[in-house]
Amino acid sequence: MAVAIAAGRVWRPNRGLSQAAVLLLWRPGARGLARSHRHRQQQQFSSLDDKPQFPGASAEFIDKLEFIQPNVISGIPIYRVMDRQGQIINPSEDPHLPKEKVLKLYKSMTLLNTMDRILYESQRQGRISFYMTNYGEEGTHVGSAAALDNTDLVFGQYREAGVLMYRDYPLELFMAQCYGNISDLGKGRQMPVHYGCKERHFVTISSPLATQIPQAVGAAYAAKRANANRVVICYFGEGAASEGDAHAGFNFAATLECPIIFFCRNNGYAISTPTSEQYRGDGIAARGPGYGIMSIRVDGNDVFAVYNATKEARRRAVAENQPFLIEAMTYRIGHHSTSDDSSAYRSVDEVNYWDKQDHPISRLRHYLLSQGWWDEEQEKAWRKQSRKKVMEAFEQAERKPKPNPNLLFSDVYQEMPAQLRKQQESLARHLQTYGEHYPLEHFDK
Amino acid sequence: MAFVAAAAGCLLRLRAAGAERHWRRFRGVGLARGFLHPSATVEDAAQRRQVAHFTFQPDPEPREYGQTQKMNLFQSITSALDNSLAKDPTAVIFGEDVAFGGVFRCTVGLRDKYGKDRVFNTPLCEQGIVGFGIGIAVTGATAIAEIQFADYIFPAFDQIVNEAAKYRYRSGDLFNCGSLTIRSPWGCVGHGALYHSQSPEAFFAHCPGIKVVIPRSPFQAKGLLLSCIEDKNPCIFFEPKILYRAAAEQVPIEPYNIPLSQAEVIQEGSDVTLVAWGTQVHVIREVASMAKEKLGVSCEVIDLRTIIPWDVDTVCKSVIKTGRLLISHEAPLTGGFASEISSTVQEECFLNLEAPISRVCGYDTPFPHIFEPFYIPDKWKCYDALRKMINY
Repeated sequence: MAVAIAAGRVWRPNRGLSQAAVLLLWRPGARGLARSHRHRQQQQFSSLDDKPQFPGASAEFIDKLEFIQPNVISGIPIYRVMDRQGQIINPSEDPHLPKEKVLKLYKSMTLLNTMDRILYESQRQGRISFYMTNYGEEGTHVGSAAALDNTDLVFGQYREAGVLMYRDYPLELFMAQCYGNISDLGKGRQMPVHYGCKERHFVTISSPLATQIPQAVGAAYAAKRANANRVVICYFGEGAASEGDAHAGFNFAATLECPIIFFCRNNGYAISTPTSEQYRGDGIAARGPGYGIMSIRVDGNDVFAVYNATKEARRRAVAENQPFLIEAMTYRIGHHSTSDDSSAYRSVDEVNYWDKQDHPISRLRHYLLSQGWWDEEQEKAWRKQSRKKVMEAFEQAERKPKPNPNLLFSDVYQEMPAQLRKQQESLARHLQTYGEHYPLEHFDK
Repeated sequence: MAFVAAAAGCLLRLRAAGAERHWRRFRGVGLARGFLHPSATVEDAAQRRQVAHFTFQPDPEPREYGQTQKMNLFQSITSALDNSLAKDPTAVIFGEDVAFGGVFRCTVGLRDKYGKDRVFNTPLCEQGIVGFGIGIAVTGATAIAEIQFADYIFPAFDQIVNEAAKYRYRSGDLFNCGSLTIRSPWGCVGHGALYHSQSPEAFFAHCPGIKVVIPRSPFQAKGLLLSCIEDKNPCIFFEPKILYRAAAEQVPIEPYNIPLSQAEVIQEGSDVTLVAWGTQVHVIREVASMAKEKLGVSCEVIDLRTIIPWDVDTVCKSVIKTGRLLISHEAPLTGGFASEISSTVQEECFLNLEAPISRVCGYDTPFPHIFEPFYIPDKWKCYDALRKMINY
């Protein structure tokens, strides 16, 4: 009996082969099957056949009871290009970046480091309310940023200031946001380090963790529809990867075929919570295949490894409209924030190891030195110069007034609702009588 | 979730007059008594399932927007979505089961017409749906997300309240997700119980930065939904599911807008102001007739339409005139949106009030199944509250 069956399920071909979804209409003699021999075939639906027919999985039967053992003893290997002394291990993996680019990488990381030191100190002195440093993770920022186009959209978590630094976000604007002064493009509304820049395609940071992940996927979908040839990159930590939003984002990216790079900074801690209390599987990279996502684990302190992985992920994500997951292993040398003292939960020796023996800045410096592109004198001069630049911006930021209190009320909606305008007027009247009790002298009139 | 929704839809269909015809056929065929045979007790009102607690009152055919067509609520939604996707090439519709037409048929035909990249299913994950929608909107494209039942919007609460609502403010207007609209079936349906009947507008009323809109009819729905989609702020559009088939009227085929944050006085009156939204508007309309007939009382009936930002001026102007206010909603009394209206009105119109403001709402319980007829703020409860206000 001729059986004409419209396959109810669109069959997904193997990754790396054609991306076209193949709808199989099986009739005896149909050419479709012959043409699709490289693709996984849906079996003819017949009760005589003993193969599995379940729409939910493409697999063979097995008659031996066996649980899959999760492999956490030797997990997904860590891709690196340089050793801890900054020497290239496998020359064919050297990206051979031009000198200017490598110097830009180095200067971005060191300038960030300098800015971090000064702003951390300024919080301790009560000049700004809060700060988060990027110590130890600078390589993850600049390595990935350097591999992207300048117009690729960035969704961050809060420890990616190096991406902005690499994109030449001015020190003045970093400081303006931390001080909440009149130059802050964010209009003083958020805590320090919640940067955003439309021009540099860096979506404003928000405090809730992992919320940016499904958002980044949506943005990638829109970029795909617009044929923008743009990738979206989404940064998050290994702690944030435990949030439901991360699961949602991964699944949507895979099912909706979005050109997105998920970049996980696995720095060993989520505030005080070590990775052994954050997950029990093989980190974040091992989750990717569970969603059908191409995944890799890299040495996050190796700028070239980060660069190579991001570069290739970008190329393929855009060309093939599929997500890529990069888990960059690194270490959070600093405290979680100025509200944290990490000596309460980890040893100073552990921190020192990473600071001295495996730091992205040192490793790149060794590379630069071995290339003859840098030396002690330039190092001294640059340190002095970068410190001076930061101090100048810092002093200026501190002197500027805060924005007018009217800006408390705008941008809630695109237009100000009548009731909110009434509240704004009520504050204005209140200040007329009680203004002496408010720090009006620091605010723009 | 899809199974329950299909069951819900199935039950809705059974309620229709067709069920009656079905039973009558069996009577004549002489089947054994008791087997699929409507027994005498079915005639007993206590056994028979309840009829609706409201009567949908269509508005007169609109003349100013061109040719009209009779549409029920889900068809008017489809029409609005069709107009949007036609006008705006960036617009996309997504959510659970929207591809085949949706569990309430709101998206029927749209995937075929506009393509699978524009009308598509997402995995079963509300926080993902809304987060994804925000991301689309951040790039400037128009995102129309569907949450299958308002009862399931809570996983997306963080994305709505902490992200969507605050996107523009926190970024200093560098970024926004104004082109996001979330649509969701809302309100009691006769048998929906805890998780297919909720009216969660009060949770979102407390969240500056979003708009919450609830239509009472197909004509209102299309105009309001189009306004939400075009509005430059993230909007939640709740669709009274009990009206999807029950409410039908003439609706313009072409797009048109009904303004947001504007309440509508659908009937003028002088003695008492009645305020409601969604399905409940039809309940209070009937209460207004009852009041006229039995008490000689003239009611001003207001459909609030937008919950936030709400039209304080129209409601206050009315209460200044009448001196009495009754607000009614299905959602539980405590912390329900009637509290906000009541509080504001007593601040603005204190000296005009002739009686305490009355709120006739659902009880402070989860929404029950078998007890629904007792739970809902029906016309008798509203009428009784009105009577007490008049006699205060």
